[in-house]
Amino acid sequence: MKKSVFLLLSICFAASAVLAAGPVKIGLMGPITGSWASEGQEMKQVLDVLVEELNAGGGVNGLKVQVMTEDDGGDPRTAALAAQRLATMDVTAVIGTYGSAITEATQNIYNETKIIQIVNGSTAIRLTEKGLKYFFRTCPRDDEQAKVAAGAIGKLGVKKLAILHDNSTYAKGLADETRGVLANEKGVEIVFFDSLTPKEQDYTTILTKMKAANPDFVFFTGYYGEAGLLLKQKREMGWDVSFMGGDATNNPDLVKAAGTDAATGFYFTSAPLPKDLPSKEAVEFVASFAKKYGNPPGSIYSVLAGDGFRVLTYAIAQTKTTDPDKLASYLYTELKDFPALSGKISFNEKGDRIGEVYKVYKINSEGEFILQP
Amino acid sequence: MHARELVSAAPGANAFVRIKDMELFAQQFTNGLAVGGVYALIALGYTMVYGVLKLINFAHSDLFTLGAYLGLTLITSWLFSGLGPLWGTALLALMVMGMIALMGALLDRVAYRPLRESPRLSAVVSALGASIFLQNAIMLIYGARNQVYPQNILPRMALSAFGFHIPLSRLLVLCASLAMMGALYFFIQKTRIGTAIRAAAIDQGAARLMGIDVNRVILMVFMIGPAMGGAAGLLVGLYYGQINFTMGWAYGSKAFTAAILGGIGNIPGAMVGGLLLGIIESLAAAYVSLAYKDAIAFLVLILILVLRPTGLLGERVAEKV
Repeated sequence: MKKSVFLLLSICFAASAVLAAGPVKIGLMGPITGSWASEGQEMKQVLDVLVEELNAGGGVNGLKVQVMTEDDGGDPRTAALAAQRLATMDVTAVIGTYGSAITEATQNIYNETKIIQIVNGSTAIRLTEKGLKYFFRTCPRDDEQAKVAAGAIGKLGVKKLAILHDNSTYAKGLADETRGVLANEKGVEIVFFDSLTPKEQDYTTILTKMKAANPDFVFFTGYYGEAGLLLKQKREMGWDVSFMGGDATNNPDLVKAAGTDAATGFYFTSAPLPKDLPSKEAVEFVASFAKKYGNPPGSIYSVLAGDGFRVLTYAIAQTKTTDPDKLASYLYTELKDFPALSGKISFNEKGDRIGEVYKVYKINSEGEFILQP
Repeated sequence: MHARELVSAAPGANAFVRIKDMELFAQQFTNGLAVGGVYALIALGYTMVYGVLKLINFAHSDLFTLGAYLGLTLITSWLFSGLGPLWGTALLALMVMGMIALMGALLDRVAYRPLRESPRLSAVVSALGASIFLQNAIMLIYGARNQVYPQNILPRMALSAFGFHIPLSRLLVLCASLAMMGALYFFIQKTRIGTAIRAAAIDQGAARLMGIDVNRVILMVFMIGPAMGGAAGLLVGLYYGQINFTMGWAYGSKAFTAAILGGIGNIPGAMVGGLLLGIIESLAAAYVSLAYKDAIAFLVLILILVLRPTGLLGERVAEKV
């Protein structure tokens, strides 16, 4: 009896030793369900394509890579649980997630368990101002975006500006930043600054109130669903004013919701769209993604999740380790101009991506997103 | 507010300001009325079920969502390609209401009827489970992305009079919800089944003794309430155009609030509560703060409940007991 127990135990140990040399585990935390489910599901699709290619080419350091997906539901509480589950799965790093408030709920969990976190869509400024050691992002920050947005607003000759946000960490941050940047500039007066409640479908009350303030340009910093409805209802009210959105309005679903007529002339700031990515890697990737799923990736954030994955596996291959401290120090100091899908990636000492990423887009009368010079 | 400051800066513009303010008020009032109509339609489902079973049917908001999705499926199918907008929409509404009514009956059979004799808490938990199940089923079937109705079904004209501007489709939404509420009120007050429903709501035991088949009444309630909710979903889809599998939550919580505001269990109460909540919200957003409009709406709810614990029209409930 004793012997058999011993035997069983030794088998277990042997098995765990084999497992330790097993695949490199990388977590994906994304909103697979919930209101941002379309983003999360595409993040997973992107990583599926990349991990398949990587493993077909032999993996990293001779080891296969395995992606463990956890659903954060687009909700901070669910996300904290997802982070705890990933932390017990022995992952080296986690890619994701999309929403800033969601990321914020998980940052400390990963930091305490020494798991590298590379987020793809959380642009709120304060996330990288906490001095966390294992935190990176492939998306730019809101203050970067606010500068680009304010620049565009100035260039369009706007005199009276209305700013509308949705009280989320991201949208309010971008709205506040933009207001701050514009406060230093003369010539643009902010005549309206308030927020809407996301997921409501009737925004006529807000539009009526905003119209009464008589702005000649509206900057909405929230998400594409609400932006589409705002554009449509503004048109139905017979109000002729130009709108601009932040990068969360960058989604083809906006045009569908608003109707092409109402969406025409809408500006938005965004990292370049997947279709506008110039690099050879990006073109190849978009093609293989389209081959697998029948359509190219629609959201830049899923591509940025892919960049997080690529930069991480590159770092693992370069350092030949999965030790979080060594990987983090490599990413902070040694990684320079990594040829990512969305352009070159380097990180500064805070874990923020260096370089200008944001561009201004305008929707043309066909409903297409056109990169503005 | 800003308009007032801007305009009154010009000398001698006071009369103009007053007209402008009246216009704004009327505009915001009708904005609120249209939203309130939808709240009221959904609130009916909550209040009818609560009236008879003392159960809050949390899955009701997801039946509303399902109504919007079924409407989309039907509208884009071959069935409606040949029909004109008027008959097409009427037939569409009937089909969606019928299908959601069946879903409601099925929901009762699967999730609530087996628990009829259990403690009330079990049924509430079952309701929450049914809600999660329905929401995720919709996501699996239709996908997580926002879905969009075809844009050209409702007329896109707007009526303008005295500088007052209201899209025709908005009036249609309001009229449709008022008409449905009127029909339901007539049905409940004047027909035999309606009388049976009211009797079962007052006292199930006594109703049973009077020869009313209470199980049939419950079935009816679970068909009529969801049918109203499904119609509201269709209206939202037709009018706003964009639907999402999570949209039930926002509308459901507001409609539930409206039901309580009007006095839960009371059918005219749900109608009044819904319209009132829509108007309060809209005016609070217009004259106080957009960001705090929900807070203000709930503050009003609390005040009303403090003054009248049974809700606005809850008096009759008190008389029953």
